[in-house]
Amino acid sequence: MIDIEVFIKTFIVLALFGTAGVGLYGVIAKPHATKKIISLTILGDTVNALAILLGYRYPGGIPPVYTGQPPNEFVGSAVDPLPQALVLTAIVIGMAVNLLIIYIALQTYRLYGTLDTRLIKKLRG
Amino acid sequence: MSGVRKVASAVALLAIVAVLSLGAAAGGMGPFFDGIRALGTFYLSTAPPQIAELVLGPSYRGLSSYSPEVVTSIVWDYRGLDTYFETAVFFLAIIGAVAIYRGIEEPVLRRPASGLSPIVRAVTKFLIPINIAVAASIALHGHLTPGGGFQAGAALAVAPVIVIVVFSRRYLLERGVTKLKALFLRSVGLIGIALVVLIPVIWSVLSGEWAWVMQNQWKPGAEVFSYPAYLGGALISGSIWFLNLFEFLAVSFGFTILFLLISIDEDTVRSCMIRGGEECDRY
Repeated sequence: MIDIEVFIKTFIVLALFGTAGVGLYGVIAKPHATKKIISLTILGDTVNALAILLGYRYPGGIPPVYTGQPPNEFVGSAVDPLPQALVLTAIVIGMAVNLLIIYIALQTYRLYGTLDTRLIKKLRG
Repeated sequence: MSGVRKVASAVALLAIVAVLSLGAAAGGMGPFFDGIRALGTFYLSTAPPQIAELVLGPSYRGLSSYSPEVVTSIVWDYRGLDTYFETAVFFLAIIGAVAIYRGIEEPVLRRPASGLSPIVRAVTKFLIPINIAVAASIALHGHLTPGGGFQAGAALAVAPVIVIVVFSRRYLLERGVTKLKALFLRSVGLIGIALVVLIPVIWSVLSGEWAWVMQNQWKPGAEVFSYPAYLGGALISGSIWFLNLFEFLAVSFGFTILFLLISIDEDTVRSCMIRGGEECDRY
C-alpha cells in the first residue's frame, strides 16, 4: 500500500531537484547569454522554493505571525520563520543582481553586436 | 548540438538530481515536514511581545524583539547583520548598473509622449495611488503583519514600471521622478539604516554604558540601552519600524533608478556611446 503523503513529499522534492538541474544545465550548456540569465533565475527561484519547503511543517503549518492564540499552540504549529527570512532578502538581492547582469548583457550587445558566447569568445581587439 | 553532447548533458543532469536526492535521503535536509529546528522554536517563542511579557521570565525578556511578526524580527533583529550586508550587496549592484549608464542622460524628447489607449491610462491613474498606499502600509505595518521594507520596496517599484509602459518615460520625468532625486532618496534610506544601526554605539560612547551594534531591546550584559517598544501606546518594536521605513526608501528608489535607466531609448544610448555629442550629458 502506497502512503500518499510520502508520495507527495517525494514528488515535490524530486520535482524541485529536477528543476534545479535544468537551471544548472542551462547556465552551463546554453551558448546564448539571454538563455543563461533565464536559467540562472530558474535555478535561484528553485533553491528559494526548496528553502521555504524545508521550513514547512505538516500538522500545523500556520504563518509565523502571532495573533493572540495560546503561546504553546503558536510555537507548536507555526512554520519555521528562519528560511522565510533568508529567502525574503535573497529574492530582493536576486532581483537587483539580475538587473545588474541584464545591464551588463545589454552593454555587451551594444559593444559586440551579439550575445552568443561562442562568437564573443572568438572576438579579438 | 552533436549526439554525444546531448547524451552527456542528459547523463550529467540525471547525476545532479541523483546526488541531490542522495543528500536528501541521508538526512541532509533536517526535520522535513516533521516539526521545526530548535533555532526556529527559539525565534517563535521569544519574538512576540505578548509571549515575552506573559511567559518568559524577567531575565529572558531582553531576548525578545517585541515584534509579533517573527520573520521581520529575524530580518532586522536576530540576524540583523545578515540583512545589513545584503543591503550592501543591493547598494553595490545598483552602483554597478548606474556606472554602466554613466554619462548617458536622455535629452529633452523630440517627439511628444503618446502612451497607450485612454482606457488604460485612466485605469492606471486610479491604480498608481492604490499601489503607493499598499506599499506604504506593507512597510509601516511590517512589524505587525507579513511584510516589511524589502517587500514594500519591491511593491512600490512596480509603479514606475507601469507608468513607463502605459504613459512614457517623459511623463515620469515631468512629474519630478528623476534619476538624481531617486539617488538622493535612496541615499537617505541607506544613511538612515546606518544611523539606526550605529545609534546604540554612539550612545554607548557618550554615556559610558555598554551597548551592542544594531541593538534593539536591552540584552543581558547591555541592559541600559533599548529603543522604545511602544510609541504613544502603539507597538513599533523599537528599531524595527525605523529600519523597515529606511529599507523601503532604499529598495524602492534603487529599483526606480534601474527601471528609469533601462527604459532609455536605445538609439540615444548608441549615439551617446559612439559620438558623445552635445545631446548627451557628460559628467
